[in-house]
Amino acid sequence: MNNLDLLDRTDTINGLLARYGVKFGIYKNGTFKEQLFPFDAIPRVIEKEEFAYLERGLKQRVAALNLFLRDIYNEKKIVKDGVVPEDFVYAASGYLVPCEGVTPPKDVFSHISGIDLVLGKDGVWYILEDNLRVPSGASYPMIARELCRRASPRTFNETAIEDNRNYARLLKHTLDYVNTGGLSVVMTPGRYNAAYFEHSYLAEQMRVPLVTYSDLEVENDYLYFKGYAGRKERVGAVYRRISDEYMDPMNFNPESVIGVPHIFDVYRKGHVALLNAPGNGIADDKGIYYFVPKMIKYYLGEEPILHNAPTYLPFYEEDMKYVLEKFDTLVLKDVAEAGGYGVVFGSKMTREQKEQFIAMLKAEPRRFIAQEVIDFCDIPIQDRGQIVERKADLRAFVLTAEEPVVWKSGLTRFSRNPDSFIVNSSQGGGFKDTWVLSQ
Amino acid sequence: METLSFRYHLSICFDAPVHDHHFTLRCFPISDERQRIDRLQITIYPNEFFSDSFDSFGNRCIVGRAGQPHTLFSADVTGDAVTGLSERVPEGNPWREHLFRQQTRLTWPDEELLSFADSVPAWPSALDTAKAVMEALGKEITYTPGVTNVDTTAAEAFSLRRGVCQDYSHIMLSVLREKKIMARYVVGMLMGEGLSHAWVEVKEGEFWYGFDPTNQLLVTDQHIKISHGRDYCDCRINQGHFYGLGKQTQEISVLVQRKEAQSA
Repeated sequence: MNNLDLLDRTDTINGLLARYGVKFGIYKNGTFKEQLFPFDAIPRVIEKEEFAYLERGLKQRVAALNLFLRDIYNEKKIVKDGVVPEDFVYAASGYLVPCEGVTPPKDVFSHISGIDLVLGKDGVWYILEDNLRVPSGASYPMIARELCRRASPRTFNETAIEDNRNYARLLKHTLDYVNTGGLSVVMTPGRYNAAYFEHSYLAEQMRVPLVTYSDLEVENDYLYFKGYAGRKERVGAVYRRISDEYMDPMNFNPESVIGVPHIFDVYRKGHVALLNAPGNGIADDKGIYYFVPKMIKYYLGEEPILHNAPTYLPFYEEDMKYVLEKFDTLVLKDVAEAGGYGVVFGSKMTREQKEQFIAMLKAEPRRFIAQEVIDFCDIPIQDRGQIVERKADLRAFVLTAEEPVVWKSGLTRFSRNPDSFIVNSSQGGGFKDTWVLSQ
Repeated sequence: METLSFRYHLSICFDAPVHDHHFTLRCFPISDERQRIDRLQITIYPNEFFSDSFDSFGNRCIVGRAGQPHTLFSADVTGDAVTGLSERVPEGNPWREHLFRQQTRLTWPDEELLSFADSVPAWPSALDTAKAVMEALGKEITYTPGVTNVDTTAAEAFSLRRGVCQDYSHIMLSVLREKKIMARYVVGMLMGEGLSHAWVEVKEGEFWYGFDPTNQLLVTDQHIKISHGRDYCDCRINQGHFYGLGKQTQEISVLVQRKEAQSA
């Protein structure tokens, strides 16, 4: 395939991305810094057949996760049947008691799911984690595609690629499907949020209001948008890009000043849809990850199509033994952390660090999972005029309205550091467009 | 069986006006197998917006907002309660009972409390064990107002060996849960004049039984239940969120009398 024309225009595209404010905010040592999210013009290409396989697997996984969420906040059959141990559910930080018995509109919990995968050198795709709370990232390949098309129309004339510019339409449909009557809006914590660019871009692309806490108000069991002219309009769906914890000071963290008091009470009564549903954190908990293949069998009676990375729970004695034995070959993850934080490689620890870590592991086995380090494929990137190989993952987006739909693109993130396996944007990586071939 | 009349009064005075005051009130007794509530009257001031709701534990809540500046917020709840209709209440929601097996931040035991828990014998019946725990606890703790606050944990209160009804209840919950007995925190009112009261319910079979560790007795027809939860935090009578610089002074008063006595 000839991408040369596109590659030659990398600087133009990065210039445009900067001009459009495609940035990522990070907090380091207590200060907020915005940085550009470096774009690499060499696309990650996925063959049509291969993507069809991913699509089947992702739909299956998200369907099972939705059933799990409904079960956990209601009957809890999967716990009673001993498939998932109680300790992994009720003690997890993502399990929220106020969500007990609350049914979201149309029974959808995970409307927007960001599933992280890597392609192993063995040619097998592995799921690294599920993100069912506020997964970000779809806006980057959206705008990158738009700008690439502008910079090099020829490339897109000559190659049969699935058009990914339908994301906003899919997302709007996801909101409208669960809307209980009134406006659909995007709620942002504000411009100091890491993904503020995305919030504003998605709102703009969907043609819906971008709001913060001060634009919304609860009155008599309903949620209202206070229009700029002072007129109040009912809100039926909130794509809220704010975590559960900060969403509503009356029901969650009382210290939150960026939430809407009583919004959860409106949701509890079924008078507004919140996307994603509060309490989803229990399903993308790193400890629960281990059980997802079991969930698929349990709820759907199917064999999982996509594989988890081989995972061990030190909570089980047998696994603890294995973890201590093979410590140097494993990656250990703190279940309470996200965004590439709390991830350590056994092989990279000093003796002292290792001893400390093992003591912690023994004291709180429930807090950690251990995984085999997957040797995942390198993909080419441009680095100062050279083409070099770097680690990359793929965040696939699955939108659930009537049923799960996989967006035919995704966010490919790569590590710029040749020795690193951590590709999270909060750790300074870059991104690529993901092309799904249509022929 | 008794017919009691009750009056629950809550007021908060602000020394400077506050506005956009959101509140959740959880001070409304509801009828169950043990008590029947009649003639319930609720007065809330200011009364701009509010609506009725139930939380995940089945407690009745009123959520509302007072948008305009105000210096007084108050809630008055009056009614009659026919109590002692049964000594137990059935489990209302078996899907949620796991919540009452797990320790919470407020009931989490430390070494000292764990060794106390170990010193109390466990009986085959949860109720016998609960009685033993209540008695042992009564010997250890001296009722003392003012040494603990709403944020004091069971372990802290136990090491002080002093506290009020909230502390007695948290300690008892902590010990019972350590012994794998399902137990929950209850807020209610007790015959006489004073503040709201707290006690414990223990599950045996399909039913919950009330224990009042502060008074060392089984819950009788002198108790009117308002709400239950895992610990104090789930049963907070009033939660508020408002804007303004006013300092607040909260006042709570509860009056429960025999119906005859009142009419006489």
